[in-house]
Amino acid sequence: MKYEKPASQRTSGHRGSADDPLGVNSEIGRKLKQYYDDLVSEEIPDKFAMLLTQLEASERSQQGEDKD
Amino acid sequence: MSVYSGFREDLLGTVPSLRAFAVSLAKNADRADDLVQETLVKAWDKQQSFQPGTNLKAWLFTILRNEFYSQMRKRKREVEDSDGAITARLSVHPAQEGSVDLKDFRKALEQLPEDQREAIILIGASGFSYEEAAEICGCAVGTIKSRVSRARNRLQDILEISGESDFGPDAISAQITNTAFVA
Repeated sequence: MKYEKPASQRTSGHRGSADDPLGVNSEIGRKLKQYYDDLVSEEIPDKFAMLLTQLEASERSQQGEDKD
Repeated sequence: MSVYSGFREDLLGTVPSLRAFAVSLAKNADRADDLVQETLVKAWDKQQSFQPGTNLKAWLFTILRNEFYSQMRKRKREVEDSDGAITARLSVHPAQEGSVDLKDFRKALEQLPEDQREAIILIGASGFSYEEAAEICGCAVGTIKSRVSRARNRLQDILEISGESDFGPDAISAQITNTAFVA
């Protein structure tokens, strides 16, 4: 029992502890975040906002028809 | 009617990370954008099945992932390629002294099988917990852990990174064993 880790380190969602295989001490972990952050910060094409606007509009017009 | 006001904005706010996940899976920006579009349409259509207050990002990632694999099954040839045929042929430039070039890293990542790649992205980059990643992938937490561990070892091999032995398989299997007992 005395070897058991504190609860905070047992939480599998916990990031950044020394034994985190993808934490700040890991080259792979750092590269992975760099790779992903680059992708996340890319400019988002307008088409996604336009798509959602279309979806919303078609839903509204359907509701309008339902009420008639 | 939207499931809650602001649903559209919340969807839009998730697009950058959805897109990053899609690129990681599809390895191709155009296909990734198609996946994101398809995900948004599906999410909109079945928004009533989303429970406000639960994790919208995880819900959307699940939809996108399902869409990706259903497209993959339709293009079976590509599946066979990505499952290892290419991997064996590709050679990645060895890592330069010190830090790994980001381009080399991307190439190395692309060599991983889908299941390992998605696991290491979800855990190491998208910020999901092992439990959330397991739910998104529809598998056990232990499976995610072993995929992450295999992905990490594989990347280390490909990129010829050494000196990470302190965080190697032993640490990971210890973690898994530990969790098994706790759970």
